[in-house]
Formats: sequence, structure tokens, C-alpha cells
Amino acid sequence: MPQDVEDLKDLFENAPCGYISVEPAGRIIKANQTFAAWMGYEGNQLVGRRFQDLLSIAGKIYYETHFAPLLRMQGFFNEVALELLCANGSRLSVLVNAVERRDDAGRVRFIRITIFNASDRRRYEQQLLEARRAAEQASAELRELNLTLEARIEKAVQERMTAEDALRQAQKMEAVGQLTGGIAHDFNNLLAGITGSLELLRRRVAQGRLSELERYIVAAQGASKRAATLTHRLLAFSRRQALDPKPTDMNGLVAGMEDLIRRTMGPAVVVEVVAASGLWTTLVDANQLENALLNLCINARDAMPDGGKLMIETGNRWLDERTARDRDLPPGQYASLCVSDTGTGMPPEVIERAFDPFFTTKPIGKGTGLGLSMIYGFARQSGGQVRIYSELGRGTTMCLYLPRHFGEAEAAEAAEAARGIEAPRAEQGETVLVVDDEPTVRMLVTEVLEELGYRAIEAAAGPEGLRILQSNARIDLLITDVGLPGGMNGRQLAEAGQAVRPGLKVLFITGYAENAVISHGHLEPGMHMLTKPFAMDALASRIKRIITGG
Amino acid sequence: MSVLQRHNVHVSGSGSQAMVFAHGFGCDQNMWRFIVPAFADHYRIVLFDHVGAGGSDLSAYDPEKYATLDGYTADVIELCRELGIRDGVFVGHSVSAMIGVLVARRAPELFAELVLIGPSPRYIDDEDYVGGFSEGQIHELLEFLDSNHMGWSQAMAPVIMGNPERPELGEELTNSFCRTDPEIAKRFARATFLSDNRTDLAKVGTRSLILQCSEDVIAPPCVGEYVHRAIPGSEFVLLNATGHCPNLSAPEETIAAMKAFL
Ligand SMILES: Nc1ncnc2c1ncn2[C@@H]1O[C@H](COP(=O)(O)OP(=O)(O)O)[C@@H](O)[C@H]1O
Repeated sequence: MPQDVEDLKDLFENAPCGYISVEPAGRIIKANQTFAAWMGYEGNQLVGRRFQDLLSIAGKIYYETHFAPLLRMQGFFNEVALELLCANGSRLSVLVNAVERRDDAGRVRFIRITIFNASDRRRYEQQLLEARRAAEQASAELRELNLTLEARIEKAVQERMTAEDALRQAQKMEAVGQLTGGIAHDFNNLLAGITGSLELLRRRVAQGRLSELERYIVAAQGASKRAATLTHRLLAFSRRQALDPKPTDMNGLVAGMEDLIRRTMGPAVVVEVVAASGLWTTLVDANQLENALLNLCINARDAMPDGGKLMIETGNRWLDERTARDRDLPPGQYASLCVSDTGTGMPPEVIERAFDPFFTTKPIGKGTGLGLSMIYGFARQSGGQVRIYSELGRGTTMCLYLPRHFGEAEAAEAAEAARGIEAPRAEQGETVLVVDDEPTVRMLVTEVLEELGYRAIEAAAGPEGLRILQSNARIDLLITDVGLPGGMNGRQLAEAGQAVRPGLKVLFITGYAENAVISHGHLEPGMHMLTKPFAMDALASRIKRIITGG
Repeated sequence: MSVLQRHNVHVSGSGSQAMVFAHGFGCDQNMWRFIVPAFADHYRIVLFDHVGAGGSDLSAYDPEKYATLDGYTADVIELCRELGIRDGVFVGHSVSAMIGVLVARRAPELFAELVLIGPSPRYIDDEDYVGGFSEGQIHELLEFLDSNHMGWSQAMAPVIMGNPERPELGEELTNSFCRTDPEIAKRFARATFLSDNRTDLAKVGTRSLILQCSEDVIAPPCVGEYVHRAIPGSEFVLLNATGHCPNLSAPEETIAAMKAFL
């Protein structure tokens, strides 16, 4: 064989691809060594077989339905991906090119097929396909998510609103619960005033001292009236109302709440109200605002476990472009309501999260973490804002800003506080210091003392009582209410008194569950306790027994 | 979009009797290019693409409608009625031969003659019936298509793009084959190869010609004979042509057989 023919033969037989020639119907005329080796046949074993019959079933069907027609129409095809079945049953991924060879008359003489081993490439394609499927699925899920997002948000908001509604009510009930204790105490005081006055009235009538009757009638009426006011307020507070914005005078609202707040704060907290004159009217749901105010006050009280000062302040604020942006509000006129305390204050990380629903630093069972989030929701819904100013260890100011309403406030409820006349009275002999913030009670006790022939000194608050104890005045007995305003409770007063007057005898008059305040129900020597309401006779005999050392 | 646009319908030729050509699985109306000229002088030629193939409106592809041959049958009836066809000639290749059988049953007024090229009422063997494929083979095909769709489409693109030898075909092929959506092809394969229309054959009342290739992997001669036996009064011609597409590989023989029948 001449050298160049040998060369060409080698080129054909050992090329890096399979070469075959087939008849128009697919029967193999010639196959090179490379192809035969791939397929696992001896060169001549392939001749006479149909190319289609070497294909996997899918390849065979597609070849007949897709590629054979294509070859006939355009005279060739390139890079068709097919699978060959080898002699040993394994499969070989290949890319196939085919071209028709025609004679001069245009008839197809044979078809030349070139076969490339595509195992690696098909594997990459498979991996690529997998990756693309994963990506498509991810983007389909994303699309689905996008489509349903709106509906789901709406549903979530709806659920959230329902939940918040329920929580608002629950909060109110919680606040009511907070109040109940204090109010029971106040009611007992007022009842003591009324029943005591009536009893004295009966006695004076029996004694024929008719000229003095007027005092007792006035006292009983005053106490009754305050009891009625209290009841009224309690009912108004617990009534459930839908959000119903009305032009509101916040000063009037604060004044109406003041009494309630004082009682809720307890005696250890001094409450001060600073009402701005000429305060702008706001359009707001008064019920919700009351709720918010009370919640702010309760938070303030919780931040002052050892007492302190609570200040409620209203004001007009003109927010310019910059300040407004700072507070995330449109610029304009706002009325503000700020509640300040001298409590623990908040570290920055608490400030940051204080408005989050369910964020609380309070122990389980004490805090719900919902107060501020609801106040925030309410403020925003009312077109306003709520802000925290807090200094760790010094105190906190919470400010509500509500947009000014141009129009008159509806008749604000006037807050009234009928206070009795306070006049120190004195008799000769042994002297008793009476400390109680409820003038009626003070008066009744004083009356009893006078009847018994004792001299009485009165004080309305702890510090005032302590001043008297620290003076040279003769004091044989201290009678004090446990819950006292002015930042010092009855127990603290008694202890301070015993510090300057060792052996000082003390009679506590208590309302509701204040027993805990007095040494967890266990009384130290020289200390006694009488629970309100009490009969005048019981009080008289008790006082006599203590003073005479019985 | 009108039904004619949906199916990329082309009407040509001069004649009063309509001759409707329906392509099979894997092709489009281009496959009739060597046959049509022989009939254009005497017939009103109607060419169309099934939805999902060639220049059809791919957006009209509804997987549910085209899950079986019924959807395709309804389309043919709809477009023939739109064209006002009566007593025409239906020429169907491969799966479209069966679609023609279904059309003849449901709307017998449309066609007076059926030319069925490579018909198969069922591809899978069933007891005594020989369809040419075992059930396992067809499932291998369908599974392969499920996991290899890129393999096919990637291979198709370069096949179509360059066409140095016969540039005049380039456009057509680009337009038809490039738009063979692999996902749709996969579903069409399922509708085709899982079909069983054997019981429909006996109810065909239309004059029918069966053209059978002598070597056809897709529809072997025994299947063509089965069809011939089942359709009352049908004529059967076994062609010398091999393969599945005599209309492409042996147009002259195909034309002659058709003319003899018509
Ligand atoms: N006046 C305040 N002083 C200090 N911390 C406060 C004050 N008000 C609120 N906080 C902090 O904000 C948290 C969230 O308050 P809030 O939403 O009202 O829920 P809760 O009072 O039930 O804990 C509180 O737990 C507390 O840590």
C-alpha cells in the first residue's frame, strides 16, 4: 500500500471521532475503527446493520420523527444529541452530524455520519439542567410568593387587628384590675366617712347637740359625692368603645383622669399635672387617649418601685420641616401630652425595642409588652407620634404628639375635687397625731379622740406628719393610714417616727390589702392595726387601750 | 387570534375540492413541500401546523386540551369548518393519520377521502396486537424526554442555525424547528405514543387509503395491515420506500399512489 494511502487509512480508521457511511435507508456501508471500538464490535460486524438500530429507543423514535425528515429537507444535520447502545449493553452519549452525498442526477448516494463522544459534555449539560431546574423552581416559588403576598399581608393585618382589638380590651381590663385594689381602698375610706358621719349624727341627736349636725351632713354628702364620681369614672373607663375620634381638649381629659391616676400611682408617687393654657384641640378617640395615658402612668409607676415623681404635662408644639421629619410627621401644629417619671430610665437597647409588641423587661405575669406597642399604634393611627426621652438612672419622658384640630373641643368634663377643710385642733392632756389623706376619716378620728378627751394633731401626708414627729410637740400615739400620698407610706412614717421617738405607739388604719406593707402581716412591738371600715366605738376602745398601755 | 392564525394556516392551489395536509409528531407543514406541487393545480391546498409546532400560536397550547388526540381533532374540525370545507381530501401523516380517523368519525361531512400515511392506532403491543413497541420501551422514551429536554433543544439549535448548502430552506427551518418547544414536544409524544384508537377504525365510513412504508420503525407494516383490515373498504398500498416519512424520502412514489386512489 503506498505511503499516502496508508496515511489516509490511518486518518480514517483512528480519527478521534466515529465515521460511518450509510445507505439512504440507514444501513451501514462502512465504519471506522474508532467507532467500532466505542461500540465494542469488530469493524465488519457493523456493516449491514441500520444506524437507527444502534440507538436507544428514545433516540430511535426521535431520529425517525425529527432528524431523518430534517436530513431529507435540508441535506444535513449537525450536533444532534443521541444515545448509542454498545455491544455490552452500556450506553454512549454522542453528538451526531450527518450529511447527504448525492450523485450527478441529484439522487442520494449515501449519508456520511460523524459521531463525537459527548459523555462529558452531556454530564455537564445534565448538571446545568439540574441547576436551571432548581433556579426555575426557586423563581417560580418567588413569583408565587409575590402573587400571594398581598393577600397574605391583608389576612395577617386582619388577624393582627382582631388580635390587637382583643388585646386592647384585655389591656383595659388589666388596667381596670390595677385600679380595683386602689379603688376598693378609696371606697372603704369614703364609706368610713359616710357611716362614721351618720353614727356621729345619731349620737349628737341623742345628746341633743343639734347645732353641730350640719358638719356631719356636709361631710357625709361630700364623701358620697366623691364616691359617686369615682363610680362614674370607673364605669366610663371600662366601657368598650370603637375608635371614635372627636375634637378633644386634652387638659380636660387629663383633669378627668387625675384622680384615677393618683389612686393608681399609690401613695409613694407624687403626681403633678402641668396643663398648658390655651392648649390646642386635637381630633382623637378620647377613650383610647385615656387608656394610653393610664398605661404611660402605670409604666412610670413600675419604673419607680421606691416611689418618685410623676409629671403629666400638656403643650402646644409647632413642628417645622426639620423637627417634623425628625419625628416622622408632617410639619405643622401638634398638641403634646408628656408623662415624665423619676424612675429607672431605659438603656438604648430597651428604647430601641420598647414599641415592639411583646417586648417587655418585666417578669412573667407582670408585663405584657403590649402597652407601648398599642400606644404607638394608636398615636400613628391618629396621625400623630409617640417618642421616648430617657436617661438611665434618672427617668423617662414619654411624649404623645397629636395633630391640632381646628374647631372647638366638645364640652370637656370638668374635673372636680372637693376637699374638706383642714384645721388643726387641740385639747389638753395626751396628744394623738392623726395622719390620713382622707379628711373625713381624719375628722372622724379626731372627733372620737376629742370625745375621749385627747388632744389631736392632724396631718394629710407623710412628710407633714414626720415634721410634727420631729418637733417637740407631745405625741402619745400616732394614728396613720398605711397608704399615704406624698412619697412616704404609713409604715415608713412610723419607722421614721420611732427613730426620733423610741417607743412611739402606732395604730395603723388600713384599707384593702395593705397588710403586706406593714411587715407582711406581722406587727412589731408597739404597733397595732385597725381595718377600715370600723365602728366608732371600736376605734374609741382601741385608742384608749393603746394609750393606757392595755 | 383567529383559528387560522392559531394554526399558521396557508391556503393555496386552484381547485374546488379541498386537500388538507396534517403533519405528524416531530414535524410541521414543511414536510409536505415535495407533495403539494403535484396537487396544487387541481385542489384547494390547506396547510397548517398543530398548536405547539412550527408557526402555530404557542400561547394557545393548553396542556389539558392537548393531553390526548381529542384536542388536536377538535382543532382540525374547527379550522376546516372555518374554511367551509365539505367533502375534501384529508392527508394525514403518522399521528395525524389517526387524527384524520377521529375527524371522519366526528364530522363525516368534512372529508370524502382519507389518505393515511404511516398510521398507527396503537404503538404499544397488546396481547395479539403488535404495535411495534413494548410498554417498557415507550416508558423509556417518555422518561428520557422528562430528564433530557435540554439535550434535545440544545442539539436542535445548531442543527437549524447554519444551512450553507440550501440557504432557501434556512428561513423555513429556523421558523419551524426552532420553535419546537421541547416541553410541548414531550407532551405531544405522550399524547401520541400512549394513544389507543383501535376501536375507532371500524366506524370510519369514509373512503380511505393506507400508505405503508416497507421498513418503518414507528409504524411497521403489520400495523398498516391491521388498519387496512379494520377500516371497512379501505385500500392498502405497501410502498418501496423505507423509513417513516415517504412524503420526504420517496415523494414520487407517494404522489403516484395518492393519484391512483383519488
Ligand atoms: N417609663 C418607663 N421607664 C422605664 N422603662 C419603661 C418605661 N415605659 C416602658 N418601659 C420599658 O418598655 C418596656 C415595654 O413597655 P410596654 O410595651 O408598656 O410593656 P410592659 O409594660 O407590659 O412591659 C417595659 O417592659 C420597660 O422595659
